[in-house]
Amino acid sequence: MMQTGEAPASMEVEAIPNGLGIQSGSLPLKPKFEPLKAHEMSDGRVQFRNVSVPPHRYSPLKKAWMEIYTPIYEQMKVDIRMNLKGRKVELKTRSDTPDVSNLQKCADFVHAFMLGFDVVDAIALLRLDELFVESFEIKDVKTLRGEHLSRAIGRLSGKGGKTKFAIENATKTRIVIADTKIHILGSFQNIKIGRDSLCSLILGSPAGKVYSKLRQVAARLAETF
Amino acid sequence: MAKPSETGMEALHHLKSTDPPALLAPSPTLSQTARTASQHLFSCLKPYAPKSPFDQLLTDGFDAEQIWQQIDLLSQPLLSTLRRQVKHLEKHPEESKIVLKKENEFLDGERKILEEKETKRFDDDVDDDDMDMDMDEFDDEEEEEEGGRRESEKGESEDESGEMVEGKGGEGIEDKFLKIKELEEYLEEDEAREYGLDRKKKKGELKLEEEEEEEEEEEDEEEEDDDDDELDDEYEDAEENARYEDFFGAKKKTVPKRKSSLSNGSDEDSGLNDDGAVEKKGGLSTHEKQLEKLQSEIEQMEKANLEPKTWTMRGEVTAASRPKNSALEVDLDFEHNVRPAPVITEEITASIEDMIKQRIIEGRFDDIQKVSSLPSTAPKEVKQLDENKSKKGLAEVYEEEYIQKTNPAAAPISFSDEQKKEASILFKKLCLKLDALSHFHFAPKPVIEDMSIQANVPALAMEEIAPTAVSDAAMLAPEEVFSGKGDIKEEAEVTQAERKRRRAKKKRKFKAEAVKRMTKKARDNTALLNHNEGNHLSVPNGGLFS
Repeated sequence: MMQTGEAPASMEVEAIPNGLGIQSGSLPLKPKFEPLKAHEMSDGRVQFRNVSVPPHRYSPLKKAWMEIYTPIYEQMKVDIRMNLKGRKVELKTRSDTPDVSNLQKCADFVHAFMLGFDVVDAIALLRLDELFVESFEIKDVKTLRGEHLSRAIGRLSGKGGKTKFAIENATKTRIVIADTKIHILGSFQNIKIGRDSLCSLILGSPAGKVYSKLRQVAARLAETF
Repeated sequence: MAKPSETGMEALHHLKSTDPPALLAPSPTLSQTARTASQHLFSCLKPYAPKSPFDQLLTDGFDAEQIWQQIDLLSQPLLSTLRRQVKHLEKHPEESKIVLKKENEFLDGERKILEEKETKRFDDDVDDDDMDMDMDEFDDEEEEEEGGRRESEKGESEDESGEMVEGKGGEGIEDKFLKIKELEEYLEEDEAREYGLDRKKKKGELKLEEEEEEEEEEEDEEEEDDDDDELDDEYEDAEENARYEDFFGAKKKTVPKRKSSLSNGSDEDSGLNDDGAVEKKGGLSTHEKQLEKLQSEIEQMEKANLEPKTWTMRGEVTAASRPKNSALEVDLDFEHNVRPAPVITEEITASIEDMIKQRIIEGRFDDIQKVSSLPSTAPKEVKQLDENKSKKGLAEVYEEEYIQKTNPAAAPISFSDEQKKEASILFKKLCLKLDALSHFHFAPKPVIEDMSIQANVPALAMEEIAPTAVSDAAMLAPEEVFSGKGDIKEEAEVTQAERKRRRAKKKRKFKAEAVKRMTKKARDNTALLNHNEGNHLSVPNGGLFS
């Protein structure tokens, strides 16, 4: 609801003594503005974000709702609600939302959950600024059809998911393989390494080769402290 | 007097033919023939003798002594010259042959005349030669020989037989190499040339040559010939004073062309002559000869310089640019960069074998010792790829990373450290057990300070699964349970004053709590008021509790 009648937050304008300013010929002093709150952005209107829920994430969302809700509402100071009819999660800024980016972060967080990431992993998005989610498809890398595609997917995950976990642990990323779509969550550099490994797997290199490369990379990453 | 028309030659022949015993007895006819013969001889010799005062031997009315004197005047200078010529010929015997050969071409006609002259002259020469071998005793010998000669020739002039005898004796010396006649011819010519006489033009070439050669010979034997010259000077007559130009050609005269052909023939003297060059009639001085020698050498060297060098003097010479097999003749010297292979002798092998045996006895084989390489750096921790799902969330992972970055000390222990700890604990336990087994003395168990929270739960409940009996005994000791301090007194023990003190304390405490409660309530009420719009609820003063 719009807040009417509320005076805009302190807009201090320094009082200019008329005689002095004009007479001296100097420029008028710069007005000082405090940064806008999220709430006041777009001329004081509330900002919204909507995140649609895919059907396969519906029940996991229900299970993990409180885990999602609590940090958003309490720490991010963003209002969140589930639109059951529209199958959407809606986010809205509050008056005391401290930062503009909070809303976007929360939206990203919810979106990551919808892609398939765990809440504990997606929470990192809220906590760290420099994390991103990158998505690409197998057909972007190589056109595979039928069994080749299935085999590629199998190669990517490995037996019991060990290849995927190996990549995750080595590069400090989280990977979601959803049929032909691949999502990677992590920092920019780590995403790149993970992507390279996955691409090489798609293109057909054996897991052992990818492991050896990962080992080198991990060692190098660990050294850079 | 018997035969005035008799010619000299006939007189000589006549003398020859007479018997020697007939000569012993004085006979006027023989003496007359002798005189004519000697006259003839004299006139024959006259051309050779330089500056003789008499044109003819005067025999009429002169006795033997006077005739002899005339002959002596003529012959003395002749003798000296002849001596010299003979010496020269000694040194250059080939010349005589050549000269004489050449002479034969010209002198066939006069040979007979000359023969006899030469025989006579050679007699003198022979005498001279026999007596002139020693140069040092020249003076004495000359005197002696002259004296001897005089005596002999005195005899001869009287008898005129000595000459014949000597002439005959002279013939004995001749052999196939030494032709006396040729020698005498040569000597005549040379002599004539030497004294500057141009009498024998027909032998012009030879004369000059011989004269020059003689001059050179003279100069070569300067020291030796000095005596000769002096003696010659001494013994020469006043008319025949030798002049400088006789011995050393004063002016350089041009040589007739015929000379050159002959000069080539005479090789022996070419060392001193220039080859085909100008030869002076007057002869060369020592200095000039040296200069000529130098000149010839210089010319030779210049010629050599102009020509291309021999292949040994050139720089890099290939096989094609030098004559065939020429390298074989030259003694080449080059460096051997390779050490020559050692010649294996029995000694060497024996020494090596001895060394081997000794080493075996000692057991000192130079085996290579393996160098143990110590690791310079600590072995890197190989990060193991974990293939299980990570238990930590991504956020926690980044959190740990951040902590490690900022505050390494507070970072949680890594997995490897935990494992290390566990391993070390296990090992210590094992060691403890083994030590207890092996050592004779007893060592108590080490106390490991470990903090743990113990719940105050009945001990038996924790220890026993099935509690057979229930015990009131608690896990904690009474003093651990008791939470008080100071001196504890029962109700009966407490004195009046104590009781009062306790009550006062209690009251004070209660009051403090009450006040606190009141203030808290007031705060809540005001908050509510603020929160609810337009809801002004008055806080009851005093509160419910006082």
